[in-house]
Amino acid sequence: MNAAVQPAAAVLVVEDDPHLSAGVVENLRAEGYSVHAVGDGQQALQWLAREQCALIVLDVMLPIVDGFAVCRTLREQGDNTPVLFLTARGDPADRVRGLEAGGDDYLAKPFHLQEFLLRVRAILRRWDWYRSASATPASAVLRFGGNEVDFRAFRAQSWNGVEQELTEKEAMILKVLAERPGEIVSREDLLERVWGYDVFPSTRTVDNFILRLRKRFERDPANPRHFLTVWGVGYRFMIEGQE
Amino acid sequence: MKSARVFQLTALAMVAVSAVMVAYWMYALRSGAIERNQAARVLYSEQVAAAQALLAAGVSAERVHTTLPGILVKGEEASLAPEVDRTLAAEERRRINQFAWEGAFFLLALGICITVIARALRAEAMVLHEQDNFLALVSHQFKTPLASLQLSLETMALRPLSPEQSGALIERMLADLARMEAMVTQILESVRLERGRVDLRREPVEVAGAVARVVASLEDRAKKERVSISADLPRGVYVLADPLALDVVMRNLLENAISAVAPVGGGTVKVEGRRMDGEVEVIVRDSGVGFRPGDGGRMFEKFTRLHPGGGSSYFGTGLGLFIVRRLMQLAGGRVSAHSDGVGQGAQFVLAWPAAPAEAA
Repeated sequence: MNAAVQPAAAVLVVEDDPHLSAGVVENLRAEGYSVHAVGDGQQALQWLAREQCALIVLDVMLPIVDGFAVCRTLREQGDNTPVLFLTARGDPADRVRGLEAGGDDYLAKPFHLQEFLLRVRAILRRWDWYRSASATPASAVLRFGGNEVDFRAFRAQSWNGVEQELTEKEAMILKVLAERPGEIVSREDLLERVWGYDVFPSTRTVDNFILRLRKRFERDPANPRHFLTVWGVGYRFMIEGQE
Repeated sequence: MKSARVFQLTALAMVAVSAVMVAYWMYALRSGAIERNQAARVLYSEQVAAAQALLAAGVSAERVHTTLPGILVKGEEASLAPEVDRTLAAEERRRINQFAWEGAFFLLALGICITVIARALRAEAMVLHEQDNFLALVSHQFKTPLASLQLSLETMALRPLSPEQSGALIERMLADLARMEAMVTQILESVRLERGRVDLRREPVEVAGAVARVVASLEDRAKKERVSISADLPRGVYVLADPLALDVVMRNLLENAISAVAPVGGGTVKVEGRRMDGEVEVIVRDSGVGFRPGDGGRMFEKFTRLHPGGGSSYFGTGLGLFIVRRLMQLAGGRVSAHSDGVGQGAQFVLAWPAAPAEAA
């Protein structure tokens, strides 16, 4: 279900305002993307059931099915295609709602064209990195402390035999940490690599995700052996586990 | 604003405390009256005992009665005089009644005060909430055309464009500006209508002619959207309405109908009319995208936009049907919407009071 690497990255634009939709589509095409546009959430879900794309640019206030519901439905179906929300409501609570629904980034209307294009590129770059970093059979699977993570399937089996369904963010954080075992990775670095620049107001989000990973993979989450906190800096991932 | 609210809340709290105090005061007075009555009865019972002792000591009954006038002596028995007993009971009742009535009156007055203040507070809170909502909705409505405008301008600034592409972008920007201008007009109009600051005329208007004029003005747009628009109304039927308001109502409904039909690739919009008891009904039927049957009422609320089909080149402000309903209410008429479901078309029924025959 994950987006395939394509020569011209395919983008689905879901926007009910014809002018805005046309503007976004024209600019994405000018950047070399292959673009398809639909006007409501239902059409988007129908299109995504048939086709694949590398990114969904999703308006929040849509007729029939709103953008948050579209994103939630996709995630529930195990579709991890990245989503960039476009919305007229730009308050922080709404941003959090969008990201909780499984969105990758959030842009408030009216937005700057160059910022929009930059964010599109950033999301696609992050996913390209993730896909290429999980391309070989060796890099697609991570084993540590009796846990086994399949980066391509977004699934894992923890030390006690429990099957785990990973969210894209959890998988990406794990990937960033696993690329540099034993090294200190700062919270800012994790934010930049996994979310992009200014999506979240604080680095506490990273801490919450690390807590979730500890719950999934540590035998004693209160005394972690693999996901170690380096106070005031960030985290250190130990494959062997620290005694 | 804030200090006024603090003052109102303080007043409310003081009145509420006063009500409790009055209730306690009344209870205390009632208990006091009962206690005083009981004390008087105790005194009288001591007098009865004294009278009994005097009688036993051989004092004559007459002398005892003269010394203790509230005591009745019958033979060798002394007892409280019935009139004294009645007076004591009546006094107790009178006092209790007095306190009950006074207390009830004060409590009622305070209750009314509390209700009035609480209602004023609630009404004010609702107005504030509505204003906040209105502002949030208005700003939200403007952000999409603004975003489109900004995108077009930045596209022109960022990319080398052919004259045709520039022309298309300029046309788009002008349409966005027109859209925002229409929104400003509609917002001002809706505020004016909502606050009742309108003085509608009430004169006989020939419906068939008025509808035909609106239909004629929309024919070009309808043709472009592949919508066949027709009106079949009996001639010479007059309603009591403001001609301008009737024009606005019909235009709004017909533009909506065309917008609902366009996304399904074309269809029909039909206007029919009939004379009912004392009123004239005009029905607008379209074969468009329709809506969920339960949404019929919600459509007339401010900023409700139900565009199940999407993809239409029409831009709603979410105020058109709100204005329609308000104008119909002010004209003494009514409007309702019905659809069998999404994709099933829709039907809007308007009714104006019929003009008396002699007026026509």
